[in-house]
Amino acid sequence: MSNNWEMVIGLEVHAQLKTSSKLFSSSPNQFGSDPNENVNFIDSGMPGMLPVMNFGCIEMAIKTGYALNFNINKHSVFERKNYFYPDLPQGYQISQFEFPILSEGYINIETGDNQKKIRIERAHLEQDAGKSIHDIDPKYSFIDLNRVGTPLLEIVSYPDLSSADEVINYISSLRQLLMYIDVCDGNMQEGSLRADVNLSVRKKGQELGTRCEIKNLNSFKFIKQAIEYEFQRQINIIDGGGEIEQNTMLFDTSTGETRAMRSKEFSHDYRYFPDPDLLPVNLSQEQIDKIKPLVGELPQDKFNKYLDNYSLDKDIAKIIIAEKQNANLFEKMISESTVKPKFIAAWLVGDIFAFIKENNLEVNSLNDKTKDITDLLRLISDDVISNKAGKEILPKVLNGEGKPSELVKELGLEQVSDSGELEKVIDEALVGEEENILKFQGGSDRVLGYFVGKCLKATKGKGNPKLINKILLERLKK
Amino acid sequence: MKNSISQIKKALIEKKISVGELYDEYLAKAKSGNNNSFNLVIDRDNNISSINDSQNRYDNGNPLPLDGIPLGIKDLFCTKGIRTTASSKILSNFIPNYESFVTQQLLNDGSIFIGKNNCDEFAMGSSNETSYFGPVINPWKNKNSQKDNLVPGGSSGGSAAAVAEGSCVASMGTDTGGSIRQPASLCGIVGLKPTFGSCSRWGIVAFASSLDQAGPLTNCVEDAAYVLNSINKHDFNDSTSSNHQREDYLVDINNSFEKKIKIGIPSDYLEDVSDDILNQIDNTKKALSKHGIEFVDVKFKTTEYALSTYYILAPAEASSNLARYDGIRYGVREDGESLDDIYLNSRTKGFGDEVTRRILIGAYVLSAGYYDAYYRQAQKVRRLIKNDFQRILNEVDFILTPTTPNEAFKIGDKLDPISMYKNDIYTVPTSLAGLPGISIPSGLSKNGLPLGVQFIGNYFEEKSLLQLAALAEKELSFNE
Amino acid sequence: MSDIDIKRISYLAKLKLPSEKEEFYSNSLKDIIKWVDNLKKVDTSKTEPLHNVTEKTVSIRNDEVSKSNSVDDVLSNAPERAQNFFKVPKVVE
Repeated sequence: MSNNWEMVIGLEVHAQLKTSSKLFSSSPNQFGSDPNENVNFIDSGMPGMLPVMNFGCIEMAIKTGYALNFNINKHSVFERKNYFYPDLPQGYQISQFEFPILSEGYINIETGDNQKKIRIERAHLEQDAGKSIHDIDPKYSFIDLNRVGTPLLEIVSYPDLSSADEVINYISSLRQLLMYIDVCDGNMQEGSLRADVNLSVRKKGQELGTRCEIKNLNSFKFIKQAIEYEFQRQINIIDGGGEIEQNTMLFDTSTGETRAMRSKEFSHDYRYFPDPDLLPVNLSQEQIDKIKPLVGELPQDKFNKYLDNYSLDKDIAKIIIAEKQNANLFEKMISESTVKPKFIAAWLVGDIFAFIKENNLEVNSLNDKTKDITDLLRLISDDVISNKAGKEILPKVLNGEGKPSELVKELGLEQVSDSGELEKVIDEALVGEEENILKFQGGSDRVLGYFVGKCLKATKGKGNPKLINKILLERLKK
Repeated sequence: MKNSISQIKKALIEKKISVGELYDEYLAKAKSGNNNSFNLVIDRDNNISSINDSQNRYDNGNPLPLDGIPLGIKDLFCTKGIRTTASSKILSNFIPNYESFVTQQLLNDGSIFIGKNNCDEFAMGSSNETSYFGPVINPWKNKNSQKDNLVPGGSSGGSAAAVAEGSCVASMGTDTGGSIRQPASLCGIVGLKPTFGSCSRWGIVAFASSLDQAGPLTNCVEDAAYVLNSINKHDFNDSTSSNHQREDYLVDINNSFEKKIKIGIPSDYLEDVSDDILNQIDNTKKALSKHGIEFVDVKFKTTEYALSTYYILAPAEASSNLARYDGIRYGVREDGESLDDIYLNSRTKGFGDEVTRRILIGAYVLSAGYYDAYYRQAQKVRRLIKNDFQRILNEVDFILTPTTPNEAFKIGDKLDPISMYKNDIYTVPTSLAGLPGISIPSGLSKNGLPLGVQFIGNYFEEKSLLQLAALAEKELSFNE
Repeated sequence: MSDIDIKRISYLAKLKLPSEKEEFYSNSLKDIIKWVDNLKKVDTSKTEPLHNVTEKTVSIRNDEVSKSNSVDDVLSNAPERAQNFFKVPKVVE
C-alpha cells in the first residue's frame, strides 16, 4: 500500500549549548542538580527582573554558523514568543524570530553510497523552558525550573528529508558536528539534543500534504518509531477518505504511537515582538572573524587528512572520526609516538575500542594512558613481542597494571630474535625430519608451517616467527 | 513642614533634630492615612538600625548624601523583605527577596524608607483610581467646592500626594507616559522623568519596558537633583541602561546660564486649551524672560499621533510583561480544578478593570493579522515622533509645555478611558522620544488648584534641565 | 476595522471574562482601536520601526556563573510548594 506514498520531513533540532551560565542569567547551566537549585530570580520570572545576554552563546552560534555553512548575520533581534505554560515563568520565551543569527546553511549526509545535501533554513538562539514532573503524584504536577533559560540553538531544516534513516543520518551528522565544535554535549538521553519532526505524506510526484509536528523526540529509536507510525497513520487517514488535520503530536514511548496534543480551543498565536528589555545584537565583522579559528578541524577535514597523510582505510578512518574524542585520542597517540599511524589506527579500532566497549568506559578515559599504549604498540611493531603477546598485555596496560616493557619481562613474553639461538633451535627441530625435508624440497609448502610450529613450540612461543621463517627457508633450501 | 533636603540635613548636622525625631514626624503624618497615599508604612522599630546607623554617621561628622532623609517609595519598586504589590490584588502578598537597583542606591546613600506609596495598578492610570487599595486623595481642595475629593493624578499619585501632604521628604516614582510629571503637576510639586536609560529598571515591576523610567517627586528642584545624584547610575543588569558619564546635578544648579538660552513653545500644544493652562505658559515665559532667555514658537508634526502610538505600544509591552502573573510561583493564587482554571481565575480576579483592558488591547494589537497595522505601524510612528523632537531640539535648547491639560478633577469624574488617556497628551510624546522632562509648579488655577509646566531637554542633559527648572522655580514658587 | 473577537483575545491573554463583562470590554476595545486608527494615515513607507530609543547594540556579559539564589528564596513566595518544587494541579498535555 505505502509503496506509492512518500514522506516529506523537515526537522527542528534543539541543541542545548554547553555554556557555563544561562542565556540571559548567570545561574549555572548544569544538568542533574537538585530541583530548583540552579534558579535565580531572573529564571523564576520574578517581577522587575531583566535579562542580560551571555556572549558565550553568540560565540557558539557563530561557530555553528561556520560548521554548518550558514550565513552569519551581523544583525539579529531577540523577540518574545508569548504563551502560557507552568514551566515558562515569564509567560514568554525569549527567542529570535524575524532576524535569526544564522540563515541558509546546509550539511551533506550519506545515503547509501551517495551524498545528499540537506538545506537548513535558519538557526536561532532561544531560552529552554523548565520541566513539569507528572509522575510523582496522581493529582499534581511538580515544577522544576533548573532548565529555564538554558541556551538553545534551534536548527530548522528545509523539508529535504524523505525517510526515517535520512532523518537519523541528518541528526547524527548534526550531533557529530556540534560535538566537534564543542558547543553541545550531544547527550540525547539528558535532552541536550531534541528534535521536532514535521512530517507530511504525498503520492510520489504530487504536491505537499498537510503536515503534523511530532514534538520533543530525544532518541534515535523513538524518532524512527515515531516517523514510521506517523507515516502510516497519515496514509491510513487519507486512504480511508479522511483529511489530515494540522496538529501538534506527542509520541507515547510506551505504546510507540503518536497522538494529538490536547486540542486547543484556538490556534496558537504567539504574538512575537522585539523584547523591549534587550537591544538588537549587532556584530562587527571583526567579532565574527575572531571566532573562526575556534571552530577547529571538522570531521570531513580529519577524514581527508587520515586518508591522505596517514593512508588509513576509509572504514577505519570513518570509525575514528565518528566522535571527536576518538579522533583526539588517535591524534594524541600519533603525536607522541613514531609508530606508524596506520598500525595505531588498526589497534585503536580493534582491541582498544573492544576493551572500552567491554568495560563500559569513556574513550576520554584513556587520554592519560596514550604513552603506555604507544609504547606497547612500538614493542609489537618492532617485533620485540608477538602480536599475540601484545593482545595479552594490552588489557593490563589499559587497566594501568604496569608499564608495557615491565609487563613483557614479568610475563616472559619477550620474543627470541637472536638468530644464533634460533638457529640452534631450528637445527634441533630438523633432526630426524629427513622425510619432511624431502617433501618440502619436492614442493610441499605446508611442511614449512609444520616446521615453524615445531620451532615456536620449542621456544615456548617466544621465537620471532618471521626470523624463524627466514632461517628455516635458508636451511631447507640447502 | 516643607523643608528641603539641604535644610533638613543642616538641621541634622547642627543637631536641632535627631534622625529618629525626624522619622517620627514624617511617620505620624504618613500613618494618619487621610489621603490613602501609602499602601504600607514602616514602623520606627523596623527601621531602627537604619535610623541608628544614620544618627551615628551624623554624630561622627560623616553623613551620606541622603543620610536620614525619610523617603516614600512607589509600590512598584521591589524592596527586599517589604511587601511590594504594584497596587494589584495579584501581588498583594508578594514579598521580594531582592532590592531594586534604584532603591538600593537610595539606601546606600543613607535615606530611610517610610513606606510604599499607593499608585495605579501596575502604574496604569492617570488618576490613581485603579489601585486595588483604593484611590489616593489629592491633599489640595478646590476652593469653590471644598468637600470634593480630587484625584492626585497618576500613576505615581500616592508619591505625589505623600510629598504634598508632608508625609515624606521625597518619593521615588516611575514614569511611563507621564506618571511622575502629571501627578506632580496636579499636587503642586516637582516631578522629574530622566532620559530613558538613565536610571536602571532592574527590580521595578515592569509596565512598558521601552518607556518605564524611575524618577523623583520632590518639593523643590534642588531635592530632585539630590535624589537624581543617588539613582542615576549605570547598571550592568539592565541591558538598556546607558553607560555615559554622569554628572553632579547639584553643582551649578543655582547658577544662571553662561550662554544664551533659547526655549521653544510648541504652538500646536496650546490650541484649544483653557486660560488656566495658557496662564501657566505666560507666567513662565515672563519669569524667564527677565533672565534674558529667548522664547520662540516651534511646531511639531506628530503631536496628534502620540497618544495613539503610546496606547498601542505601552499595552502591547504590558500584555507580555504581565504574563508572568499567573499564581504559580508567587502572588495570589485563586482556586481552580485544573491548572488552566488556576491561570484563568488568578489572572481574571487578580487584575482590575483598567489593567485587564490594557492587557486585552496589547494582545489584540500584537495578534496575527493586526501586528503590522497596529504594533509595527506604531513603532514606525514612534521613530517619526523621536525625529520630530530631535529636529526641534536642534533649533532650541529646551521645550516648554503645559504638564497637564487641566487641573485635578473629582474622583470618579472621568469614567471613559479615552478621556482619561487624554490627560497625558503633554507628557506622552516626551516619553515616546525617551527625552527627560521636569514638571514644576507654575501657579494656581481659578479654583485655587496647583498647575505645572514641563521643561523638556535633550538626551542626558538633566543637568542643564534642572538648572533651568531651578531658575524658573525661584520666580514661580507659590508654596508657603 | 474588523470586529473584535473578544473571546479569542481574552483566551490569548489567559483571562476569563465574566459573560456580563464581555460586551463592556468588547465595546471599550472597539472605541480605543477606533481612536488609535488615525495612525493608519501616517506615511511610514520609508520609516524603520523604532524598538527602543537607545539604538545601541545589546550589552553583553561574559559566560560566567555567579551564585544562583537559594532555593528557599526562589520558593518563598510560592502559593503551593512540595519539597523544593512548585506544585500545581496536574498538567494534561
